[in-house]
Amino acid sequence: MARPDRSGHGGDPSSVVLSNPAPESPPMRRRTGTAYGFLTPYLLIFAVFWIWPILYSFWLSFLATRQLPWTFRPAMTWGRLAQDPAFLNALENTLLILVVQVPVMIALATVLAVLLNSSLLRARGLMRFAFFAPVVVGEVAYAAVFRLMFTADRGIVNKVLEAAGLPAVDWFSDPTAAMALIVMAVTWRWAGYNAIIILSGLQSIPDDVYEAATLDRVSPIRQFLFITLPLLRPVILFCVVLSVIGTMQLFAEPFLITNRGGPGGATETLGVFLYRQGFTVLNFGYASAVAYTIAAIAVLISLLNLWLGRERA
Amino acid sequence: MAGVTLRSVRKAFGSVETIHGVDLDVRDGEFVVFVGPSGCGKSTLLRMIAGLEDVTAGEVAIGGRVVNDVEPADRGTAMVFQSYALYPHMTVAQNLSFGLRMNGNPREDTERRVAQAARILQIEPLLGRRPRALSGGQRQRVAIGRAIVREPEVFLFDEPLSNLDAELRVQMRVEIARLHGELGTTMIYVTHDQTEAMTLADRIVVLRAGRVEQIGRPLDLYDHPVNQFVAGFIGSPRMNFLAAESLGGGRLRLTGQGGAEIALPAAQGLAPGQRATLGIRPEHVLGAGQGECDLPLVVDVAEHLGATSYLYGNTKAGEPLVVQAGAARGAHAGDRLTISIPAARAYLFDPDGRRMT
Repeated sequence: MARPDRSGHGGDPSSVVLSNPAPESPPMRRRTGTAYGFLTPYLLIFAVFWIWPILYSFWLSFLATRQLPWTFRPAMTWGRLAQDPAFLNALENTLLILVVQVPVMIALATVLAVLLNSSLLRARGLMRFAFFAPVVVGEVAYAAVFRLMFTADRGIVNKVLEAAGLPAVDWFSDPTAAMALIVMAVTWRWAGYNAIIILSGLQSIPDDVYEAATLDRVSPIRQFLFITLPLLRPVILFCVVLSVIGTMQLFAEPFLITNRGGPGGATETLGVFLYRQGFTVLNFGYASAVAYTIAAIAVLISLLNLWLGRERA
Repeated sequence: MAGVTLRSVRKAFGSVETIHGVDLDVRDGEFVVFVGPSGCGKSTLLRMIAGLEDVTAGEVAIGGRVVNDVEPADRGTAMVFQSYALYPHMTVAQNLSFGLRMNGNPREDTERRVAQAARILQIEPLLGRRPRALSGGQRQRVAIGRAIVREPEVFLFDEPLSNLDAELRVQMRVEIARLHGELGTTMIYVTHDQTEAMTLADRIVVLRAGRVEQIGRPLDLYDHPVNQFVAGFIGSPRMNFLAAESLGGGRLRLTGQGGAEIALPAAQGLAPGQRATLGIRPEHVLGAGQGECDLPLVVDVAEHLGATSYLYGNTKAGEPLVVQAGAARGAHAGDRLTISIPAARAYLFDPDGRRMT
């Protein structure tokens, strides 16, 4: 699952312009000072509501916060992580979703992008919007619709299954079905978004490369495998990294659709577990340690992806 | 090796026809250049031969076989694109061998062909590099190499030198001429640069708005253009055109030149009062009194290239005129000169642009 990069640091890393500023002259320095003057309100808010909570939560992650006064006891937070079955369950669920959902969704998004790029497709603009639209739908609204669709006795999905002669599935009580439901929901919401990103990559491949391949008697399928996919690698990698980060933070779907990670914690993700520790149990120290663990795993997996997908000389 | 024949070839995009019935015979081993201004249909015509564009009507034959419905890869052609169209993620060697590998060509044969192409184009040291690590000229060589390894019957070049700087263009032009000499394969080459056309072609096909204006050897086109368009397009700087009116009896009055008159044998066919256009190439303009009609000229720009000089000026009526100034080598902008037109070197075109002889 990929989510829009809310930090504003998204986009093509190769577009970063490296500058090597010369020593500043007095008027230049004055202008720089003015610029910082204008930036000060933002920087103050950024420091108070962004930097400080990040630093403070790191400190909190070493404190036992179940009772006052809070004391420095890393064993109660970091030490507990490795032994807490609920945390390990949430970690396992999250990684399972990551391993199953991300590859399926990226593959689906790539196929969708190719179809959306096809000159044979009619109403292309409308189709592109339609596949992108789920991202615009509010999480609560879409979760409610999914709950209705998958309700055991009245849901349309079970009605369709039964009409096809298949047994109805108890989507919210069966652990495997619930997990499948989460995977389907997340894929529905984010596949189109990723397809649009991949589509932009597809459109940057010049037509004459394909014409050259056509003259080289390379079939369309082989053109896709040996030309399109390798040239899309940086874009696909970008989508994978976004999706990994998004999945590690996955919260809305298991919280809203499968009712707080149910049944019996079968779909509890690290995000839901973190919420439970922080806002239900009010164990801020442990929740902070979980938050840092989520971030660390996301960074590690993303780095691994970047390393695996690096351009080889 | 094979020749290429076009018979009444037409191309329409929807209701808009861009190629209006082209007939052409390219002989086996010949180097033919399609030349014309932007939008004249020369690239479309090349792409129709390659099979990258459908033929709306007419026949395209390669080696005597009609190929209208033959797949591009089965036509025995290889194409070099203006943008090179190299596979960016492959090394030079992989770019060269990709098509052969995809078609299950025996490995030894593929390696032999790649090595041979690399030797011919002198790109052996570049085989391990990716396209982005190559200069424009090197990329163009690789693109040509990719065409060579296919061992085609016909090479198709679509403005291959347009993206190169002037010096490299001259160098690559020579190399392509050498390549044609070495391979002896039929080559069809598209360009809008008449210098490339003149230097490379066995025969030039001049196109305008989807029609063939003239086909011929470079110097034939230069010396004997059939119309004003070809006369203006072939030759650099282009031919000068002066408005004229017949006085009868083969005499013309240059209407923009304050009543200057000149007698031309070609003008015998014009009735008195009939309008025409006189053409004179910059290198044929002479100094005062040396031709049959003297004209005053104000020099706007003087280009001194060393071996020769070009004077860009305006005549009395504001008609632009370019003079290759052997005699007036020392002229500068702002100078007032008298030039002279030799009747034997002048061309005459009727109001429809057809050349009168």
